[in-house]
Amino acid sequence: MKEFQFTINDPVGIHARPAGLLVKKAAEFQSKITISGNGKSADAKKLIKLMSLGIKQGMEISCQIEGEDEETACEAMLNFFKENL
Amino acid sequence: MKLFQNIFGKDSGIDIGAPVTGTLISITEVNDPAFSGEILGKGVAVIPSDTRICAPVDGTVSTVFPTGHAAAVTSKEGAEILIHVGLDTVKLDGKHFTIHASEGQEVKKGDLLLEADIEQIKADGYDITTPVVICNSDEFSEFHMAEPGTVSQGDHILNLKK
Repeated sequence: MKEFQFTINDPVGIHARPAGLLVKKAAEFQSKITISGNGKSADAKKLIKLMSLGIKQGMEISCQIEGEDEETACEAMLNFFKENL
Repeated sequence: MKLFQNIFGKDSGIDIGAPVTGTLISITEVNDPAFSGEILGKGVAVIPSDTRICAPVDGTVSTVFPTGHAAAVTSKEGAEILIHVGLDTVKLDGKHFTIHASEGQEVKKGDLLLEADIEQIKADGYDITTPVVICNSDEFSEFHMAEPGTVSQGDHILNLKK
C-alpha cells in the first residue's frame, strides 16, 4: 500500500470541478484509492461520496492507494493534487 | 438486461422528475465548465422559480451536503442523481439553505430535500441555475432530455436507459 498526505490549497476544496476531475483520474487505475479527511473516508472513484467529505481549503487529506498499479497511481494522484487542489 | 426486458416487457428506462419548479435548460448552457463540460456527468439544469427542492425520483438520499446547497438521491434502479442548487454556492457555506432530508433516508418523488431562498442567493450575486446530473453516467447508454422551457416540480425532465 502507498500513502501520501496533502494540504488543500483550492479555495472551494474538493468540490464540483476538481472532484469530477479527481474521479476521472482515479478511474484510470486498477488500485483502490481512498481519500480520508475531515473525519471521514471515501472511495476516490465515487463522486458523490468524495464531494460529501466536505474537504475545504486548509484541510489535510490522506490518500491511500492499494493494488497492482499502486506505484504509478500514487505518483499520478500526488501530481493531480499538486496541479488541481 | 435482455432477460429483464423479456420478463417485464419494454424497457421504458428511468424517468427523472424536475426537483424544482422553473425553466428547464440544457446542461451545456450552464455557466460553469464543471457542469457544461459534463465533468460531473451528463444531465440537465433547471433555473428555479420556487424555493422547494424535492426528490426527482423514488429512492434513497445518498448525500445531503452539510452546506445545504446540494443533495444526491440514488434511484431504486441505481441512477445517482446530484442536484446542485446554484453555481459556486458551496461558498455560501449554508447561508440561505435549509436542509429537510438526511443521508440514508428513503424518499418518494416530490419529497422535500432542501429549501433555498433563491431571491437572497441571487441578491448575494450567485447564479441560481440548478444542474441535475447523473454522476454514474457511464452506466447508462441513452439520455433523453424533455422539451426545454417551463416545468413544474415533478414534471419529466430526463429519461435514462442502461
